[in-house]
Amino acid sequence: MVGRIDPYLFLPALLLSLIGIVLIFSALQDSSGHEASSYLRQLVWLAIGLLVFVAVSAIAPRIYENLSSLFYLVALLLLILLFFGGASRLGATRWFSIGPLSLQPSEFAKVAVILLLARYLANRERPQFRVRWAAFSFLMVLLPALLILKQPDLGSSLVVVAVVPGMLFWGGMPITHIALLLSPVVSLLAAFHWLSWAIFMLVLIVTLFVVRPTLRFALWVLATNLAAGIFTPLVWQRLHDYQKMRILTFLNPARDPQGAGYQIIQSKIAIGSGGLFGKGFLEGTQSKLAYLPARHTDFIFSVLGEEFGLLGCLVVLILFSVIILRGVQVARKARNHFLSLTAFGATTILAFQVLVNVGVTTGLAPVTGLPLPFMSYGGSSMLLSWSLIGLLCLVSYTWQEY
Amino acid sequence: MTAFYSKEDRSKMAVGLFSLLLVAVMMRLFYLQVISHAAYTQVAEENYIRVVPLEAPRGLLYDRNGKLLVSNRPSYSIYFIPYQIKNPEEAFKDLSLKLNLSLATPSQLLRGQSKSKYQPIRLLRDVDFKTICVLEENSLDLPGIIYQVERARRYPPRGRGSHLLGYVAEISEAELTRFSHLGYRSGDLMGKKGVERQYDYLLRGQPGVSYLKVTAQGRILGPAGSREPVPPKPGADIRLTIDWELQSMAESLIAFYGSGAAVAVDPESGEILALVSQPNFDPNLFTGVLLDTVWQRLASDSLHPLLNRCLQGTYPPASTFKILTAAAGLESGRVTTRTLFRTCRGGLAFGNRVFKCWRPQGHGQLTLMDAIAQSCDVYFYQLGEEIGLDLWSDYARRSFFGRLTGIDLPSELSGIIPSRAYFDEEYGEGKWTRTLIVNLAIGQGEVLVTPLQMAVFFAAIANGGEVLEPHLIRQTKYPDGRLVRARGELLGPLPFSPNTLGIMKAALVKAVNGARGTGRAAILPSVTVAGKTGTAQNPHGEDHAWFCCFAPAQDPQIAIAIVVENAGHGGAVAAPIAREMMATYFGGQSPLPGPEEALMSEGEDLWWGE
Repeated sequence: MVGRIDPYLFLPALLLSLIGIVLIFSALQDSSGHEASSYLRQLVWLAIGLLVFVAVSAIAPRIYENLSSLFYLVALLLLILLFFGGASRLGATRWFSIGPLSLQPSEFAKVAVILLLARYLANRERPQFRVRWAAFSFLMVLLPALLILKQPDLGSSLVVVAVVPGMLFWGGMPITHIALLLSPVVSLLAAFHWLSWAIFMLVLIVTLFVVRPTLRFALWVLATNLAAGIFTPLVWQRLHDYQKMRILTFLNPARDPQGAGYQIIQSKIAIGSGGLFGKGFLEGTQSKLAYLPARHTDFIFSVLGEEFGLLGCLVVLILFSVIILRGVQVARKARNHFLSLTAFGATTILAFQVLVNVGVTTGLAPVTGLPLPFMSYGGSSMLLSWSLIGLLCLVSYTWQEY
Repeated sequence: MTAFYSKEDRSKMAVGLFSLLLVAVMMRLFYLQVISHAAYTQVAEENYIRVVPLEAPRGLLYDRNGKLLVSNRPSYSIYFIPYQIKNPEEAFKDLSLKLNLSLATPSQLLRGQSKSKYQPIRLLRDVDFKTICVLEENSLDLPGIIYQVERARRYPPRGRGSHLLGYVAEISEAELTRFSHLGYRSGDLMGKKGVERQYDYLLRGQPGVSYLKVTAQGRILGPAGSREPVPPKPGADIRLTIDWELQSMAESLIAFYGSGAAVAVDPESGEILALVSQPNFDPNLFTGVLLDTVWQRLASDSLHPLLNRCLQGTYPPASTFKILTAAAGLESGRVTTRTLFRTCRGGLAFGNRVFKCWRPQGHGQLTLMDAIAQSCDVYFYQLGEEIGLDLWSDYARRSFFGRLTGIDLPSELSGIIPSRAYFDEEYGEGKWTRTLIVNLAIGQGEVLVTPLQMAVFFAAIANGGEVLEPHLIRQTKYPDGRLVRARGELLGPLPFSPNTLGIMKAALVKAVNGARGTGRAAILPSVTVAGKTGTAQNPHGEDHAWFCCFAPAQDPQIAIAIVVENAGHGGAVAAPIAREMMATYFGGQSPLPGPEEALMSEGEDLWWGE
């Protein structure tokens, strides 16, 4: 058993989990020195996470491939059931309560989506990648993404969508085509001013001439971009003021320093005041005196930055990098297409969540509500993170298999 | 040119993209934690350290006998913490409804506040206890609204001494820009009138500061260990020259008649013993929430209660000025005590105009002494013509009329002593008649003086010719225990010889004590009073009653000038007030009938005494 464990994946993950528990201990200790029991619960979650890790990495790869459709259907079912039997917190219905435990089906859906996409793309031939495959891939994640968005959980919904271009890329789709595929999103943003949109369309047309995709794909790209460019201003005008405000504050939190911007401002203060070496364990004023919201969950990285400084941040980022680089390496070495794609999908999810979470806490990205893998408080996130490590270890161990 | 990349190439691209983003994140961290570290450290401290200014206890004011006049009392102030209020406009509207008070708009309050939005900003000062109770009851609905106990000024009741004591109020924006170099800060209290204004630099002390550690929910955890608190330096206590007993009783007497002023000076030192201006105002109104209606009433009152008549009220001095005209005549040699003018038959014609004497049946032919004692206008018309305008205004100016006395109170007026140049300016050169001097000689016409100037002048006559700068501060007690005695300055001598001064004194004694003296109402049984009455014609209504005096004549200890507006004859109205004041000052009881109603309420003052 021990021989099957890839130390480059397992050890950093374990270290990150333990650092996370230490930070949760600090984040939730109140000003009079009493700590909440959350760090103990997180320790229990880590134990369960390790069991899940062992289980996931012990199952034969074939089973994942064969049952991927079933997983996908179960995930969809759970997401739908959530609207009937889910537990609500803070206005969102994301959890199933099972006794003292509560689990988020969206985390399970992330794994299911990887497996389904991996199986679908593994059966396509390369090198002639068909644009149709990309369209199917997006269709596959559309339903779970919408269901998750409805909870509402913008962050997880983004993760599910973001995994698609990553796996298409690994599946052999030319990077230029992926860029063209994503161009309507840029059009959507550029269309807020006619000039920026016109320039973008010009660039797009030139790109089409250079890249020379199939005529059908080119037409599709043009059509979607035109639609995005024309409908965005129309839709925008129809929006209520509060809806516009919500979108604008999402893109630029500084517009609302009392509300949405408050978290980011406090997080930047926490990280910035940490300096090179930090204020020391349990010495963070931003977290200790509760100025930092969601400090044990989505903003755990800010606690790290405040108490352990740049040095602590770099150590954690390097640990994450080890996992991600190893993940890419595992995906590269795997001879089996399905396993290779699975490994790359798992790595994509981890990388995306780490970069977006750290980007949010440092004020680089808008607040989306994504936990930091292994470190943020919460069982579902912990189980997902360790399942992904489990999948990666499985691929790492069985790389020679076809 | 659709290129196919091998797995190797694609893994390199993936690693490249990830590394690129990772480097971006690391650069961001470097920017936040190294380059902007100092700035964020400061913001983090501002976050959790609440700077609580500690107001310095303001110096106390005592009267010359050590009676406490102005003290400090605890009061409640309401503050708000900006960051805890999401929608200030609405929150303030809600608050003002709940407390039933009108509030400044949040933007007004936030303007000029450079403080962090975590620092409480004072919303209202000195609110009553009932309001605090309402606030406590609604504290859950009013997040970010807190109250603190501070000090407020306690002034004597019923506006006693309001003009000389003044009041304090929060510094205005205009004053802040003007006086910021003196260390005033937004929200500070500042003396606005009277002694409070004049000696603000002594009284205000220096505010201190304490640092508290506060959670995001506003819970105070205790002092912030990282910063040492700075205790405030209390202001200096001031012992005034005022005799409060004299002041209170003079206020009651003047108030009995309505409006007017009374100034009492110690002729030996220039110390002001009483400075009364009626009607007065209640300085306690200004300590907290000043209602617009109250301010409107004060500002638009036709009797101008905010005006300090002692130094800002200018009146024609009327017959009290005859003593100056007489002295000018004697000193210039134009007349002697034996000089006789044409007989007074109730009036005299100059050119084509008849100037009347106040006594229609006339005074007959009088010497200088009797003309002063009986206040004969006809005598002084002729004396004025004899002296001439130039000489008269020269003596008046050299007697320190027409200029500021330099009293240690703000906004003094100088009055007017008309001269050739003045009339040329007013009427045009050569367009005025020389008979104007006829009127000026009896203190009517365009001559204007303040009651303070008259008191200073009579004090100078009393002390043998020294004009002393009047002042209100007797002693300053600094917080370190140091005592500094204030001394009055000599402004200069009167332009009269001892001989002339002797005659003036004798004439003033006769004006009160002589059988036909106009000031007989000021006679005291045990003390010889020297004084002069005056009845100033007032084109807008009843005459103003004047009386100026000093006593005892042989060894003067008090000089008084009184003007009572629209009250009639000086001898009938002002002289009895002077008598009561002197009786009080010398400790004697006067059996003469007076305005008893006004005196009856005196006993109430004792509760806030020492």
